[in-house]
Amino acid sequence: MREKADVWQGTLALMILKTLEGMGALHGYGIARRIEQTSGDRLSVNYGTIYPALLKLEQEGYIGSEWGVSDNKRKAKYYHLTRAGRKQVEREARDWQRTTAILDRFLAPEEQS
Amino acid sequence: MRQLRAWLLRLGGLFTGRGRERDLAAEMESHLALHIEDNMRRGMLPDEARRQALISLGGVEQTKERYRDRRGLPALETLLQDTRYGWRVLRKNPGFTMLAVLTLALGIGANTTIFSWIDSTLLNPIPGAAQTGDIVSITRGGTVDDPGEFSWPDYLDLRAGTRSFSGLAAFQFRPLDLTGTNKPERLWGADVSANYFDVFRVRPFLGRGFVAAEDEKPGGAPVAVLNYGLWQRRFGGDPHIIGRTIFLNRHPFTVVGVAPRAFHGTMTGLQTDIWVPFMMQQQVASGADWIHDRGDNELMMQGRLAPGVSIEQARGEMNLLMQHLAQQFPDSHFGQNQVGIYPLWRSPNGANGHFYIVLPMLMAIAGLVLLLACANVANLLLVRSVSRRREIAIRLSMGAGRGRVMRQLLVESIQLALAGGGVALLITAWSTGTLADFIPPTSFPVSLAIHPDRTVLLAGLAISIVTGLIFGILPASRSASLDPMAILKEETGSISGGRRKARLTSALVVAQLAMSLLLLVAAGLFIRAFQRAQQTNPGFNPEHVLVASFDLFPAGYTSEQGREFDRQLLAKLTALPGIQSASMADVMPLGLTRNTEMVKLEGYVPQLHEAMDIRSAAVGPGFLHMMQIPLVAGREFTANDREDTQQVAMVNQTLADRYWPNEDPLGKRIWAEGHWSTVVGVARTCDYDRLDEKPQPFLYLPLLQDYTSHPIVLARVAGDPLSFAPALEKAIHELNADLPVFDQDSLAVRVEIASTLQRLAGTFVGAFGLLALILATVGIYGVIAYSARQRTREIGIRMALGADRRDVMRLVLGQGLRLTLAGLALGLALSLVLTRFLSSALFGISATDPLTFGTVAACLGFVALGACYLPARRAMGVEPNVALRLQ
Repeated sequence: MREKADVWQGTLALMILKTLEGMGALHGYGIARRIEQTSGDRLSVNYGTIYPALLKLEQEGYIGSEWGVSDNKRKAKYYHLTRAGRKQVEREARDWQRTTAILDRFLAPEEQS
Repeated sequence: MRQLRAWLLRLGGLFTGRGRERDLAAEMESHLALHIEDNMRRGMLPDEARRQALISLGGVEQTKERYRDRRGLPALETLLQDTRYGWRVLRKNPGFTMLAVLTLALGIGANTTIFSWIDSTLLNPIPGAAQTGDIVSITRGGTVDDPGEFSWPDYLDLRAGTRSFSGLAAFQFRPLDLTGTNKPERLWGADVSANYFDVFRVRPFLGRGFVAAEDEKPGGAPVAVLNYGLWQRRFGGDPHIIGRTIFLNRHPFTVVGVAPRAFHGTMTGLQTDIWVPFMMQQQVASGADWIHDRGDNELMMQGRLAPGVSIEQARGEMNLLMQHLAQQFPDSHFGQNQVGIYPLWRSPNGANGHFYIVLPMLMAIAGLVLLLACANVANLLLVRSVSRRREIAIRLSMGAGRGRVMRQLLVESIQLALAGGGVALLITAWSTGTLADFIPPTSFPVSLAIHPDRTVLLAGLAISIVTGLIFGILPASRSASLDPMAILKEETGSISGGRRKARLTSALVVAQLAMSLLLLVAAGLFIRAFQRAQQTNPGFNPEHVLVASFDLFPAGYTSEQGREFDRQLLAKLTALPGIQSASMADVMPLGLTRNTEMVKLEGYVPQLHEAMDIRSAAVGPGFLHMMQIPLVAGREFTANDREDTQQVAMVNQTLADRYWPNEDPLGKRIWAEGHWSTVVGVARTCDYDRLDEKPQPFLYLPLLQDYTSHPIVLARVAGDPLSFAPALEKAIHELNADLPVFDQDSLAVRVEIASTLQRLAGTFVGAFGLLALILATVGIYGVIAYSARQRTREIGIRMALGADRRDVMRLVLGQGLRLTLAGLALGLALSLVLTRFLSSALFGISATDPLTFGTVAACLGFVALGACYLPARRAMGVEPNVALRLQ
């Protein structure tokens, strides 16, 4: 259970960073929706899990936050990438690609058989 | 770095106020509002939109909780919670808390006290010096009481030849008179090799240490370094002291430095007031020319091992060098030439040579006391846990994990232990000074600067936490393994702790009794050994003897004039009313200073490498009579043994028996101090180093022939010795009005100093034993009383069925008796095995002394049964009617 959660935490962090990279500043709900949409609705998790992940990234200094007003005039907390966050996106993405590439080699023959 | 930053932020998150909580609520609210709006835009009704939004969020409170966990540090947060809760629980039971804290404070305090002593002696042997771990003491054979020393020429050769040492220093410790403007003051000085301050890496507070050139020309380096305390006291901390001239033994010296405040010399426990180069030996000391005489071994040696060199390697090299010297100069090396190398924690130069045995022993015993205290508190906790069973059962059934319950109980224990440790440190702040109180006031420069420092504080903290875990773990794991269902179904108070718990408390009591017996046996042995030492006749009578000393050398006397002075003084003293007899000596038996002579004995051929170093004293006429040391044969020195008559000597019985067995020692010749003397008397052997020592050979030389400028005057008086001090001083001043008189003391006090360690050990082990007795008594009383109360109902039933009061008494006492016997048996077995480790500190008594064992076991058994008797009486008074209705 725990390992799964850890993987989820790691990938979620990367998804958040990548989303913020692409979309600029965005509130928690927006990020959650965006991740859902990007995954083609294949990923359905509780939106709530995104908040601890956001807090963790903020504590690590990869993102910042401030209160703002949404398009439809609602008060919301907006998150944005910091400089360190931008670098982290690249690093994480590279690491992730490497990991998946390795895992693919392990998984590929099995799928064939 | 990122991890650290996040961790710090989370640590800060523990203490966040409401602002962040409000922020979180607002964010959740805004999230839901955005989602609901979206859902409604997709055509849902408001209620459905809200429901769907909540579902996909996964619950507002759950999200908040997960968020909070990430915000703070959950583990730390629960720890804080547990601490706050534990604090409340402990405050609610002030009686229990006080008892437990007090018990622990005594147990921990015993340990921190002894540790503070170890810390400032064995662990910090030379305050003010750097990296003392590399420094060792080097002796030429000898024992802890009398480490063999080196001559200056040998020292120079060893220093030149060694590769094992990065620096080798030599020094001598001696009294000096600071003369000049004010009244002369006696100081304890060291004349040292010029590299002294460099070897110990002591950076002077002001000015400099000594330089290599000051090691070269005899009499050519009239410079001195002052002790910081002396500089403050005598010179008012004058910042322009460097370059000033002072007079030591009437000889001018230029002050070149002030030592740092912490540095008091390199012999643990002894204070050096002033340092001068050894090249000034002729100026500060009378007598022989030690700078050139290879046969005069007067210097202590300490050195810093070169990096990577072990003590064994250094010893090997030094032995080789020493052998070489012995072959080269056989005339001056017929004595002991084996080299001994000691790390400072057991260096024979200074107090550690004695402390390193006694202090670890006391530490072990204090550890035992603490274990006993742990057992007591564990029992208290077990008893109390019964009344908390329901509380814990409820928490378990509400879903608290067993680990969580256990952690909370352990936090409580550690809190108790920390409170105990806090009180213990307060106790230590006072008790640490008691070590110095054991040393009678004396003019000898004893300085034990013992302050509980940061190390002691940390040790106290560590001991407390470990203690809390030790006594807490058993009760906590018991409580956490409760079956909540069974307990909640129980009627309150109808069932005692259950069989397993009863067995556990009984085992704890047996262990307690066994440990106390061990402690009491140790205490008994120490006290008996000490008593014996006190009762032992040291071979002379130390009562009613006044001692004092003076030094004629700085006053400018030649040896000729000095002898005349001594003769006149003795004549004056014996004529004084109230003074029965008077004599002189350069060292006294059981004093702290000693003389050793390398001797040749007529007709005795030493074996290869046999040590011919023999303890000696130069004594005046009538010395044996004055000390009341019986003369076995021949005569003692008289005023007629003068420098122009035949050189004479006396030996003790042990020397005569060992070297001239079955021969008449009278008329034999003995070579010492560079000349042959004829034995004219044999004295009975007495104690020279400490009470109850093994008999050792001893040589007496006549003070009027082998002159010393600074003798000790001894006078046997009628009444209190110190009341005669003014009369003695007056007699001296009638001969020379300016001569300072030092070290006035009673001989009995000097002898008391010789048994300081036995008194120290006896007192503390005795106190620990008493503490153990109290703890064990309270322990067994608590358990028996508690179990008797738990069995009130059972007793009621028994009585209703016809048991009479005596049966009840037997029932309760029987339980106590079984526990006591088991405890005593285990304790006796333990003691038999363990007390032998004490034997090196027990003089004149066997480590398995049957009298001690028997008395202590009987005492403890009696007290334990007494502790059971009270609850038994109470049980006897149980009214069956009342007991049976008891719920």
